[in-house]
Amino acid sequence: MTAYILRRILYLIPTFFGATFLAFLIIQLAPGDYLTQRELDPKVTPETIARLRAQFGLDRPIYEQYLLWMNNLLHLNLGYSFAFQAPVLEVIWPRVVNSMVIVIPSTLLLYLVAIPIGVYGAVRQYSLGDRILSFLAYIGLSVPSFFLALIAIYVLLQIKFRTGTLIFPVSGMTSSGFEQMPPLRQILDIAWHAVVPVLVATANDIAGLSRLMRGQMLEVLGQDYIRTARAKGLAERVVLYKHAFRNAVIPFVATLGGLLPSLISGAGFVEVVMAWPGITPFFLDAIANQDLYVIAGFLTVSLVLLMIGNLISDLLLAWVDPRIRYE
Amino acid sequence: MRKAFWLAAALALAGVASAQTFVWPQKWTVAKPSEVKRGGTLRQATISDYRTFNPFITAEADNVPATISGARGLVIRDPTTGDWIPYMAESFSVSANKLEITFKIRKGMKWSDGRPITADDWIMTWRIHTDKAVGSNRYDDFFIDGKPITLRKIDDYTIRFIYPRTDADAFRVASFAPWPAHIFGPVYQKDGAEGIKKMWTLNEKPENIVSGGPWLIESYRPGERLVLKRNPAFGEWNKDAAGNPLPYLDRYEIKIVKDTNAQLAEFLAGNIDVFAPSTVDHISQVRQAIQQGRLDATLKVNASPVASSQFMVFNWNKASDPFKQSLFRSDKFRRAMSHIVNRQAVVDIVYGGLGTPMYTSVYPVLTQWINPKVPKYEYDLRQAAKLLAELGFIKKDREGYLVDSRGRRIEFNLATNAGNTQREQIAKLIVDEAKKVGVKVNFQAIDFNTLVGQLLSSGPDRPFDAIIIGLTGGGLDWPFGPNVVPCKGNLHMWNKSGQCLDPRETQLDALYSRGRTELDFKKRVEIGYRMQEIEAQLLPVIYIAGPNYHPAWNNRLGGEHPDAIISSIWGQRELELTFIKK
Repeated sequence: MTAYILRRILYLIPTFFGATFLAFLIIQLAPGDYLTQRELDPKVTPETIARLRAQFGLDRPIYEQYLLWMNNLLHLNLGYSFAFQAPVLEVIWPRVVNSMVIVIPSTLLLYLVAIPIGVYGAVRQYSLGDRILSFLAYIGLSVPSFFLALIAIYVLLQIKFRTGTLIFPVSGMTSSGFEQMPPLRQILDIAWHAVVPVLVATANDIAGLSRLMRGQMLEVLGQDYIRTARAKGLAERVVLYKHAFRNAVIPFVATLGGLLPSLISGAGFVEVVMAWPGITPFFLDAIANQDLYVIAGFLTVSLVLLMIGNLISDLLLAWVDPRIRYE
Repeated sequence: MRKAFWLAAALALAGVASAQTFVWPQKWTVAKPSEVKRGGTLRQATISDYRTFNPFITAEADNVPATISGARGLVIRDPTTGDWIPYMAESFSVSANKLEITFKIRKGMKWSDGRPITADDWIMTWRIHTDKAVGSNRYDDFFIDGKPITLRKIDDYTIRFIYPRTDADAFRVASFAPWPAHIFGPVYQKDGAEGIKKMWTLNEKPENIVSGGPWLIESYRPGERLVLKRNPAFGEWNKDAAGNPLPYLDRYEIKIVKDTNAQLAEFLAGNIDVFAPSTVDHISQVRQAIQQGRLDATLKVNASPVASSQFMVFNWNKASDPFKQSLFRSDKFRRAMSHIVNRQAVVDIVYGGLGTPMYTSVYPVLTQWINPKVPKYEYDLRQAAKLLAELGFIKKDREGYLVDSRGRRIEFNLATNAGNTQREQIAKLIVDEAKKVGVKVNFQAIDFNTLVGQLLSSGPDRPFDAIIIGLTGGGLDWPFGPNVVPCKGNLHMWNKSGQCLDPRETQLDALYSRGRTELDFKKRVEIGYRMQEIEAQLLPVIYIAGPNYHPAWNNRLGGEHPDAIISSIWGQRELELTFIKK
């Protein structure tokens, strides 16, 4: 096992270099650079643009820029943001933390809700409840999260117009005067702001995951050993939870490692629409501005987490599934 | 005699003892000093996040240093007249040759840390802005044709600007906001540009940010909210007509809301106080909320056009396709193309009736600069067909497109940046109208940076036919772009061969220089009128239409501008004169 882990870690090294170079190349292949938009300012002279380009190193060949960046990276320096004129890690880290306020509860909620729904759907296949849940799942799958967020804002406003109170905030992460609040109120304030974004961010995924769980469970329930268990006269509860569920849930356990990169990758467009100061709006800004090292740096962190996550997944799989052994 | 001397001495002393105040004119606000209340918080939203507190490296129009300093310097513009009036200067005098302006700095002004604001602050600020290695966005402001504008300290409260030649923009240059020399100076001397660039990042503690303007940073939460509080030092020399210190507000909060729908929701919910809806849908939602009594607010629809342009430009440098090149270089052709642009349809369809047609390079909002007499070449398909016939395009081919005697069809590609739905709609309207007269236009939406790359490419053969794009920026003093008009200009988009190709380009180039160096406003406007006449003949760029400005505010605010000066140039209010009614 130790040999296996070591071998996997060794494999990560060429993957890392290959992937970062590819990412860097793709970003650079996009036309223009950070200064292109400024070129359309009637007051800025071409000489100034050229000077800034040299200052940012954007006039050098791509391989040279990559090597410089890689050199920084090996010193654990992700590079410098053009727009913020500050180290990438310094500017992205607070955003990642903000995103986690949504992502972590939403992930927990996802598993807590989607798995029971899936199990229910499988056990009571084609019952009225299953049909209703399936119907809702299809809606959940088809409505994009940004649109769901807009609907949520609309509903909140309508409630405000009718009752005069905002039950949940329409946007943002904290209220005015947040800095003056005592710590406990600050936590409650953030929690109050997070409710709607968390629900919206979870809604889509619940649909998908519960359908998967339902499928897995149905498949396991059709297996011979379940029939055997039932024939043996085991209680239905034991059949379902001890035999069927434990096997059906294996693929989900195996994907837990894959959650690692999603922890830092933000909650998506919900953040943009509801003005949540997470990583998504920030990253979109960086892409729009072609803030090279922010994009590259963020991709690198995601990449590393993805590689670690995959490794954890494989180990988890070996741990939960007795049929798999790495030697 | 002796008595008079003592009297003068006493007066001089009194002047030193109390700050020389700047009284904010009553005509800038609708509120009387007697109805004004002090205190409260103004809440606003902005679309993009702040990136630094450092005034020397900030590059965005909406930035923290400009907000806390009020972006004001020795002189400011009076929004009721457009004139430059002394502000941080108490007075100024222009030398006989008009190359030097000497400013007497107001005494008694203080930084928020209590240190006096003096000539050294301007000198240091100018030094850092003009240090190439710093990369300040204001760098180019301090050069005319590559020659530097220099500042000289005469004494602590007198400063002289020396220009390499007379310049219409002279006062705008002098309007830059000073920053404290006692903070930036020592770092600059010790570590140079690199030291400056590391200062005042977003991680800097708010209490370390020193301001000479109306606001101080109270707190900043990245991506969320900037909270500013009143700078008491500012109120010592900024007073309203009744002598009350300004600003009236205690706090000014700016929420960062990236999505305009969310901004609208915040405004409708009463969580922000000012908002400028830009689409028909947003305007009608605000109007509906007001009419149904759900929101107590004021909305001024079509207050003015916005200061931006949308235009179509043809490429004069197409050596690889002499037929197209000669076509694009023909002013008859371009005039015909102006006649096929249905500007009213653009306003109606693209801007939902809330826009303004454009015919000259001067933004329609700069009314005093617009020459009303220049020909407009409005939408007229018959006229377009006639002009094309004069160019020899009489017959139509099997598909119904015009061809000349040698069978060459009028056909060109028209590009704009993908994702800009308004420009895409404009392009589609042009395609349809062109088809009616027998001109084939192939529309393509391409990536913005690719588009800019094509537009700014130079040489005898450039890779595009026609592009729809827009510009913003350009001042009230001289609204013609320094990069746009001169033939060697980087944004001389139609012809980037590096030289004037048409005698009228040469004329425009010369008039541009003359206007830029003319200090008399009236004479300058005359030159501007003349330039618009030549532009109308040459038609290097076909102007289309632009959106309008529609400010809205919650009625808990008072102190907005009188209606006559509410516009995209002057905005809806001066923050200093804004107060909370309830």
